[in-house]
Formats: sequence, C-alpha cells, structure tokens
Amino acid sequence: MAIDGENRAAKAPADVASGAAAIIQVPTESWFRTPAATRVGVILLIVLFWEFGARIYNDPDFMAPATQSLVSLFEIVQDVEVLTAIYDMFWQLAVAFAMSLVAGLMLGMAVGISRPTYRTFFPIILMVYAFPQITVLPLLVLMFGIGPAIKVVFGFTHGFFPIIVNVIAGAQNINPALLTAAKSMGASRSQIYRRIVFPHLVPSLFTGMRLGMTATLLGIILAELYATRKGIGYFTSFYAESFEPHNLFALVTMIATAAIILNELLRRAETRFGRWRG
Amino acid sequence: MQQTSAITRNANEGSEIAIHAGNVTHIFGSDTDAQQVTALDDISIDVFKGELLCLIGPSGCGKSTLLNIMGGLIDPTRGDVQVGAAKVAGPMPHDVAFVFQESALFPWSTVVDNVIVALEFQGVPKEERSARAWNALEAVDLADFGNHYPGQISGGMKQRAQLARALSLETEILLMDEPFGALDEQTRMILGEDLSVMLSKTDKTIVFVTHSLAEAVFLADRVAVMSARPGKFKEIIEVGEGHPRDPDFMLSEKFGKMRNDLYGMLHDEIRKAVDGENAQT
Amino acid sequence: MTDSKIRIRLIQVSMFAVIFVAWFIATETESVSNLFLPKLGDVATDFRDLIGSGDAWSPLSVTLFELVVAFFNAVVFGTSIGYLVSRSKFLMRAFEPMFSSMFAVPLIIFYPLALLFFGLGPGSKIAIGSALGFFPVVLNTINGFGHVDAGYMRVARSMGAKGFPMFRRVLLPAALPIILTGYRIGFILCFLSIVGGETIGSFSGLGHQIVYYAESMLTSMMFAYIIFIVIIAYILNSLVFYMERKGNYY
Repeated sequence: MAIDGENRAAKAPADVASGAAAIIQVPTESWFRTPAATRVGVILLIVLFWEFGARIYNDPDFMAPATQSLVSLFEIVQDVEVLTAIYDMFWQLAVAFAMSLVAGLMLGMAVGISRPTYRTFFPIILMVYAFPQITVLPLLVLMFGIGPAIKVVFGFTHGFFPIIVNVIAGAQNINPALLTAAKSMGASRSQIYRRIVFPHLVPSLFTGMRLGMTATLLGIILAELYATRKGIGYFTSFYAESFEPHNLFALVTMIATAAIILNELLRRAETRFGRWRG
Repeated sequence: MQQTSAITRNANEGSEIAIHAGNVTHIFGSDTDAQQVTALDDISIDVFKGELLCLIGPSGCGKSTLLNIMGGLIDPTRGDVQVGAAKVAGPMPHDVAFVFQESALFPWSTVVDNVIVALEFQGVPKEERSARAWNALEAVDLADFGNHYPGQISGGMKQRAQLARALSLETEILLMDEPFGALDEQTRMILGEDLSVMLSKTDKTIVFVTHSLAEAVFLADRVAVMSARPGKFKEIIEVGEGHPRDPDFMLSEKFGKMRNDLYGMLHDEIRKAVDGENAQT
Repeated sequence: MTDSKIRIRLIQVSMFAVIFVAWFIATETESVSNLFLPKLGDVATDFRDLIGSGDAWSPLSVTLFELVVAFFNAVVFGTSIGYLVSRSKFLMRAFEPMFSSMFAVPLIIFYPLALLFFGLGPGSKIAIGSALGFFPVVLNTINGFGHVDAGYMRVARSMGAKGFPMFRRVLLPAALPIILTGYRIGFILCFLSIVGGETIGSFSGLGHQIVYYAESMLTSMMFAYIIFIVIIAYILNSLVFYMERKGNYY
C-alpha cells in the first residue's frame, strides 16, 4: 500500500529565523526553499489557476472563481439548514464510528486471540470486506428509508471492516511467549486481555481507526449522495442543480478540509501510540 | 598473464603505478551542517600495478570512502586521483570493476543475466556478451547456477557471482569493499584461498578493504593501516609472500607475528573510534 | 486434510448454510417481505434470464468502457507524475505528504462537481474514477522509483550505466513490484467509484441497473444484478492480482 507521508514537523519557524539572519549573506537555508513552501506554492498556484480559469471561462452556471466561492463559504455557513446538515453529518459520523469501533474491537479481539478462531473466521471477514457494498445501498435504502438511519448504517458497514481487520492483525502478532509467561504466572483470562492483549493491540487499533474513520465518512457521504432529502449530499445536489456552483465549491472544499484535518489528527495519534514498535 | 607464483612481489622496485591518490581530503556535508564529517584528511598512497593492497582500519575510518574515490564514484573535496595516466573524473567501467559487500546483484535477474547486463553497461557488443558471461561463471565454478536467481543461492555463491561479473569486465583494476564481510568464517576462508589462486594467474591490481586482520595478512602484498576518523595512513606493511598463498601460511610464525603487529596498531585506533562514537551520542 | 482443517472448513460451510437456510425460510414463509428479500428461486431465475438474454451486456459494456478509460488516465498521469516527482528528494518531500493527505479525503464528495461539468453520462464516471485511481498510482510510483536501493544504482554506475539503460535495467525492475501494487489498488478504486457514480447519478451502466430495479421494486432482478456485479468484480480482481504477482520477483 502507498506509504504515508513523513511527519511534517514544524520546520518553518527555525528556517525563517536562519533565513532572516542569512539575508546579508547568501541565503542558503531560507524558508522559501523548504518542501513546505513548495506545497504552499503549489496550492496557491492551483487556487490562482482556479480563480483566473473560472473568470476566463465565464459561465456562472457551471463555474465559480475561488474568491466568489470563499465569500459563499461565509454565506452558506450562516444558512440554518446547511448548518443543521453539517451538524447532522458529524453526529452521524460519531455514532457510526463509535459502533464500528466497539464492534470491531470486541469481535476483533475474540477472533484474533487464538489461531483456530483466526483461521476459521478471518477468511470470511476478508471475503465480506471485499464485497462491493455500494451495490447493496439501494436495497438498504428500501429497508431503512432516507433518514439518518441509512447514513449511520452505511457508515457503520464501511467503518467496521478496517477496524476489525487491523485489530485481528495486531492480536495475531502478539508474541506467544508473552501469553505463555502470563498464564504460567496464573493470570486470569480477563487479566490477560487487559494487561497484555489490549496494550499490544493499540498501535494496530489506531491504524484501523484512522482507516475506519475515512471509511465511515465515505459510507455516510455515499448514503447522503444517493438518498438525499436533507443533508450535505442534498445540498451538493441542490447547489449543482440550481446552478449555484460557488456554493457547491464552498461546501465541497469545507468537507474536504475537515476530512484532511481528521485524518491528520488520527495519523499523529497513530504515530504517537505506535512508538514502542520502533 | 604472468606466472608469478614463487616470486615475491616487491612492489617498490620501479613498478608502474596503477592508482595514485595525492593529498586526498574528503568532507561529507557542507560547512553549515551540524553533522559535517571529515572522512579523509590529506591522505596519499600509490597502488602499484599487479599488487593486492589491503586497506584496514577501524569502523568509520574512511576506507570505503577512499575506495569509492579511487574508483571514481565519489569526487574528493580536495586532492587528485589518477588511474594510470588519466585523472579520475567519474566511473571508469573499462578500467575499474567493483565488488561490494551487499546489494550488488540485481534480484530481478538471473545470475547470468546479471553478468550480461554488466557487459551491456560497459558497452560490449551484443554477440559477445553471453559467451563472456558464461566463461566468467565457469571460472568461479558457478556455471551450474547461471539460471538461478540471486534469492535462490547462498551468500558465498552470490559473492562468487559478483566476482565473476567483475572479472568478465576484464578491467585492469579490481576494487573490493569487504566482499566477504557478510559471510561466515568457513566460506571466507575458502573464498580467500580461491582469490589468492586467481591472483597468481592474472596481473590484476586489487585494492581490498577488510575488517579481518587474518584476511588482510593472508591475501595482501601490502597492508595499509588507517587511523580512526579522520582517516590517515598510520603505517604500510609489506607481507612479502608470493601468490598463490599456501593455506599453511596461516599457521606460520611469520603470519602470526604480522597479525599481532596489526592488532597492536589497530587496537588503539579502534578504541579511539568507539570512544568517538560514544562521545557523539 | 488435517483434523483442525476439516473442522475449520466445516464451521465455515455451516455458517453459509445457516444463512442460506434462514433466507430460504424467511422468504418462502414471507415473514420478511419479498420486497426486501426475494425468494431464492426468483433470484436464480432472474439471474439465468439475465445471462441468457444478454440484457446485461449493454450496461456491462458501459461500465467496462468507463473503467478502461478511467484506469488508463490514472495510470498515465499517476505514473508520469510519480516518476517525475521521484527524481528529486526535494520534490518527494514536498508532494508525497500532499498527495497522501488528499488521498485521505473521500474524494467521492467531488462527484457532484463531476456531474455538474460532465452531466449524467459516462464522462462524470470516468472523471471520478480517474481522480480516485490516480492517487494510489502516483503514491506508489513515487515510493517505488524514489526508494530504489542505492546499492543497486551505485554498482550500476560503476559499470558505466546512466540515462536510459540505467532506467530500463535498474530503476524500472526495482520499482516494478510496488508500482504494480499501486495499479492494483488504483484499479479497484476506479471500479468501485465508477459503480458508485452509476448508482448515485446515471442513466446507464451496471450501478444504474441496480437503482432502476430497486426503484421499480423488482428486488429479485436487483439481486440478480448484484450477483452479476460481484462476479464481474471477482473476475477483474483476480486478473489484476495475477498481473501484480507476475511482476514480483521476491
């Protein structure tokens, strides 16, 4: 799988300082030459391209420049219905993710702890994981309607699998010598779970949580886009169909940014809790 | 190809110079770098044609760096390096072949294809490549494994394959960077003996980097001892034995004495190197 | 087979059997409405008709067309950009985290934008498929080319390699396994996002068929199509896994 990017430590302040100091001499370590600066530069370039491209193309039904979209961002955020929709989305995300976490963790530990259960159930779990869930979405909508339920359900079915798979993988990787040692010291089953199994699972759990969060969000958005009556999905379709692209762009940018931030938070947590793995 | 078996290679008597390194200094990292390291400090040596010169020294003393500089893989910060009459300005595939400790055979090609691709890089015409490759493998007794992949053969065989590849390039100079370093002692012994036999049949110039004192004395015509970083030459010893070396040479008094002398010279340098490392951490 | 293997197989098979039987009983007795879970017999009949009549061919060809074009885009752009970025450490440090973060966003949210620009036809599916497939390809290409063992390159350099021979004989074979993995993941994402796009907004393609039959309350036909898609997905995935393994020399 593609590797994750490196930990983007806050290099900027130190480099700005040395850059300022070096202004008199040849600037070799200025901030403008760091990778972070390149990223900012590229993003600025894209925004500029968006801005001028949209103005040149000049079809307000289909295209809106960046500045206009930014203005719309402030406007739509004041629309009560949009705010409710955003609030609902995050609430659904929380519930679905919590369900995925609890179910994934419990079942994952149960399956992963012993070799026989692993060999019996893991192949089946993988098989279901590989199933294209989007094909079942219309059916689920028939069953759950188009309210919040379908979003939570679809979010759960998406978020559950990365978590359980990673928990099982983490459980399987526990050094059996540790378990033997604990048993020989007379540890009870619950003690073994609490003191050995669970702490060892934590890094894998965080990996699963990061992937699970993305997947849960994906499930909710898919459900929203398909089963719209109210919700972010509704609004994106609404803005698209009513030819108000600036609102659409604003909304999409906002959600994308939120998703990036969430993912970044979880990635840092994953690094921090996975440190003992070296 | 001369027969020089029983003749002592007295390198100092008017022999041609194969490699000349003059006042070589090499510094890694720029002046503003906190981790700037002086690997070599004003070091000079001449390698004579047809000799096997061993570079030995503590970890981090710059012996691999010096080897890479000799072979044109690194440009020294200061100093001049010449191979034969020509100034070294980059890799010289027709004059110099390398043998490395690890990651030198391409795992995605078979053993014989590894040799063939080397010949392709050097610029050998297509029709000649296959024959030369198989000949080289025969010379190191690997012809039966030519169609195997590196992942399927042992460590010792991999190094023999690398040697075959280097030999197939028919260069005058062979630069070997701890080629037997990753192998177990028994394999090292055998390969060392084989190398000595091979030496007696060719007039290649070899610079050989090693950590092993016994290996150095057994294989070398001269042993150059380097100090701890920054690398300078502490002393250069002449072994004064012909090739091929009798395995019993290792049991002789002369061998033992030389090995002990080397040990004495190196022990302090190794201590310095280790203490230097501890001081940094 | 050993004792434990038999036991494992038995448990697995019986799990499916239980589901099968439960489904059968529930649907035959109509304790679950046939609008939600159709009778197994009906599904079988519809599936047979589907294959036999060739009705599935048209939507299948639409979906496959979108898939081929989207994957082609993802591979061409992802590989070339990935290779270019991999040529400098600076570019890698700049762009790898950026692509990685963008990949973390459920890019399907941009689908309404695609619908806006390209309409309900194959164009919007190709757009979203290309966008999603692009990221694993570019990330793995950067990783593959950018982290070739320096030892291989050093030894090749010493033998006189540079330029195209270096690329062809060293960089490419070394990077290939990782790049092929990227292609596999990209392919799967292309497929899923395209079927997803057809479900959300389309008038053709396999995803659309499912929506059509769901909305027409012809659930057994919908299930037939679900089974059909799962089979197609399985075939495509097997193909892609096979090709990935062929390029792997480990």
